[in-house]
Amino acid sequence: MTVRALPALLLALLLLAGCGTPGGDSSDNAEKAEQADRDARKVDVAKAGPVTLTVWDQEVRGGQRRQIERLNAAFQERYPNVTIKRVAKSTTDLNTTLKLAVSGDRAPDVVQANQGRPVMGQLVKGGLLRPMDGYAEAYGWADRYAPVLLDLNRFSPDGQTFGDANLYGISQMGEIVGVYYNRDLVKETPKTFGEFEQQLASAKGTPISFGNLDGWPGIHEYQAVLNAYAPAGEIRDFVFARDGATFPNGGTAEKLQEWANKGYFTKNFNGVGYDPAWQQFADGAGPFLIAGTWLLADLSDAMGDKLGFMLVPPEQSGGPPQALGGESLPFAITSKSENPDVAAAYIDFLTNADAARVLVETGNLPAMPTDATPQGAAAEDIFKAWSDLAEADGLVPYLDYATPTFYDDITAAVQRLLADRTSPDDFASGLQDDYETFTGSL
Amino acid sequence: MIDRREQVLAHLMLGVFAVIALAPIVRILGMSLSDPGNFSVAWDQGHFGTYMRSSVLVTSAVVVAAGLLSILAGYAFGMMRFRGEQVLFYLFLVGLMVPLEATIVPLYYDLRDLGLTDTYWALILPQAGVSVAFGTFWMRAFFRSVPRSLVEAARLDGSSSWSTLWRVVLPLGRPAVLTMVVLIFMWTWNEFLLALVMVSDEALRTAPLGLAFFQGRNTTDEALLAAGAVIVATPVVIVYVFLQRHFIRGMLSGATKG
Amino acid sequence: MRRPPGEPRHVAYVYLLPGLVLFGAFVVAPLVHAAWISLFAWDGITPGEWVGLDNYEAIVSDAELRRAFVHSGVLLVFYVAIPVVIGLALAGAASRSRVRGLAALRTILFLPQVIALVVVAVTWRLIYQPTGWLGDFDLALPAVGLIGTWVAYGLCFVLFMAGVQKVPSSLYDAARVDGAGAVREFLAVTLPALRGEIAVAVTLTTIAALRNFDLVYLTTSGGPGGATTVPAFEVYQRAFRGGEVGAAAAVGVCVAAVIFVLTLTVNRVADRAART
Repeated sequence: MTVRALPALLLALLLLAGCGTPGGDSSDNAEKAEQADRDARKVDVAKAGPVTLTVWDQEVRGGQRRQIERLNAAFQERYPNVTIKRVAKSTTDLNTTLKLAVSGDRAPDVVQANQGRPVMGQLVKGGLLRPMDGYAEAYGWADRYAPVLLDLNRFSPDGQTFGDANLYGISQMGEIVGVYYNRDLVKETPKTFGEFEQQLASAKGTPISFGNLDGWPGIHEYQAVLNAYAPAGEIRDFVFARDGATFPNGGTAEKLQEWANKGYFTKNFNGVGYDPAWQQFADGAGPFLIAGTWLLADLSDAMGDKLGFMLVPPEQSGGPPQALGGESLPFAITSKSENPDVAAAYIDFLTNADAARVLVETGNLPAMPTDATPQGAAAEDIFKAWSDLAEADGLVPYLDYATPTFYDDITAAVQRLLADRTSPDDFASGLQDDYETFTGSL
Repeated sequence: MIDRREQVLAHLMLGVFAVIALAPIVRILGMSLSDPGNFSVAWDQGHFGTYMRSSVLVTSAVVVAAGLLSILAGYAFGMMRFRGEQVLFYLFLVGLMVPLEATIVPLYYDLRDLGLTDTYWALILPQAGVSVAFGTFWMRAFFRSVPRSLVEAARLDGSSSWSTLWRVVLPLGRPAVLTMVVLIFMWTWNEFLLALVMVSDEALRTAPLGLAFFQGRNTTDEALLAAGAVIVATPVVIVYVFLQRHFIRGMLSGATKG
Repeated sequence: MRRPPGEPRHVAYVYLLPGLVLFGAFVVAPLVHAAWISLFAWDGITPGEWVGLDNYEAIVSDAELRRAFVHSGVLLVFYVAIPVVIGLALAGAASRSRVRGLAALRTILFLPQVIALVVVAVTWRLIYQPTGWLGDFDLALPAVGLIGTWVAYGLCFVLFMAGVQKVPSSLYDAARVDGAGAVREFLAVTLPALRGEIAVAVTLTTIAALRNFDLVYLTTSGGPGGATTVPAFEVYQRAFRGGEVGAAAAVGVCVAAVIFVLTLTVNRVADRAART
């Protein structure tokens, strides 16, 4: 055998080794996960022996950081046999690295997996998350949440149906994306969308502080205006991929581009980060900031009583409130976790009535009803808005939930729209095409 | 004769570009030093102490493994004749050009199937493999430059190939080995993509990866971020300042992975 | 019986084997495996589906992927052409005049090469922050390119200086006696002598231009709106974020292929030029 044959033989061996359909051994992950759920039960954590729970979360901002640190400390104090190993990352970093982490051999036990198809849907499809219906029954979570808040975390085990079937996570906080305003600069809050526009036109400084370097804040701007142009049902149908749904627009794209061209947003907003933008607002750059309730603690620290919160007003005065929102990233249990029962107990601990109180004290909005009272005028505004929205069923989910790639699709499209690089019609039809590429495969 | 104007212009050009090269570095250094307490904050709360330890571990392992194997393989290429020498040499040469971007995808899934992702092995083995390609090439060049008479004398004395290598030839190659070590050290320490993909566990994060996530988490405190950046860059810069001749000579040879 | 020196020896394989195994297992085998994966549509989780050369066809037909390679072309100007020109200019200037502190200059100019790209990215992101260029649709790519220029021109300078110092001073003397000015001397003596070094510089900087995942990931994440996406970034994005592993593998294989072709071409051209 000549040596010349050796490299060829080596190559052949390597080829054979790599052969076989990639991923051919993962097809039964989902079944295994479902089987596990049937064994779910409520456990007495104190009797579980020494347990280390690895938790991945993105609670890094002011109020969220305070609440998770307090609750983690309280949990470990109550159950000294449990150690919580916390890995905290920014939202973007978490979403980027979650899939790799959860599918690896040493997956974390509990992860915050963003609702919707891009993250949670994909993880469910790969059988990487444990269904939690068994735990939901054991701990009575159905009594803790309004149905829509649980539906947002539901998927069928194959990841195809969103908003129905198995429950894969529960969230701590409610979220509304509304309009923070500076009471020094806004004497009277607008009652209609028209009045809002007038205030924008006559505003001193930067009407709407906005930084879209990260891409996702653009979704908030778009959906803030969308609520004045499209009814909640239409938006929900699109997000949950119900038959016949189309990308909701109705003039929003045009209006938003108009605002950008009129200079209503921070100068060079495409290069401004999310945090610098709200910091500028807190420093008095202008009257309004379109952002979510997760910033309450940070903004209150900076602005005190000058801070106010309102929803984007409806077209007609007195119309039903409608706002982008839902809940914070849900806590989910990975299928590879070796301590699912303790993990479930931990998640229950993070979302029970005591936790709700801690959430309020640290400047957050709980997703569960609570009688703890918020401090500060802005916090009161938010809590009132939340209950108004719950009553009117006016909470509308994020558009980026709609398809596995929609987060990337819509963030890029909005960036182009706001930079006047695409017409409003092309913007909407492009996204409709992206959407149909996915729904066609369902 | 070269007139003074040209002299001044030359000095000016070089000076300007030197300042441009240095300015960002000085700036980040300055930002980090605006509050020296930041370094210990970054080390402890920012976990840079842990990240540096991981980097030291991985880098040392790669340098030792790749260095040793490169010496052995380079010895074979440089001082022995064997069938298939040409083919294998070209294989190494081609391998030098293969970018990590091309192999990262299969590497991840294969190592995951072997249960090695999220371990130091996932960082050490691929980097050792790549470094062996460069190292072999580099050491071969050295071994070929050794005078044959030396080797033959050793052989006539009854020395085996092994002892010839370690006792006779390699002692001459200290500069070459040092250059190889220094370059492998730099490339391994600075590697980011591999760590990003292979490692999710925070305890195993290498310094560059730690810095990347630190930037994501740390949007407000620029001085703290600067401190982290300085911590990550310092080891290689220090080695460079003392051994720059070796760095430069190695990279000028053109046989690098860029 | 010992073999006389000079005859092929089998012990060579023993020395070769460990390194070869490591290299084969972690460089060659994955490359082959990547080519295999690129023939499938695979999300990394569920079993993949055979698609033949569709992923490669997508590189030409998919606007986003096409754009990534176009951006790489643009970046070649910033990562390769400009640093080479700067390096030549500086080396040319330094070769004519006696420059004081040349060693120190070399150390400083080469410094950007040894700093981790992660640190470079963090540093430059802070520098660009007040300008907002990284968020501008038109300026983001050149902004990223300039970072590449900054990293590379020192390498080129050092390379060319080393080459210049090999040029016998008699050639320079002859040119000066002929009355050649700075530019003529550079074109007639320096440039031709540096052919080999230019080839090395172009090779190294081209590879760096195609492998710039670190910079793009940490400064712009390919944005805004895809204005700075590059093939290296698309590999990561598609494989580990988007669930298009087969497509990612195809892009990776293409990057390797482009590097091979460019490296071979550059070296072929340099060889041929040297022979004339």
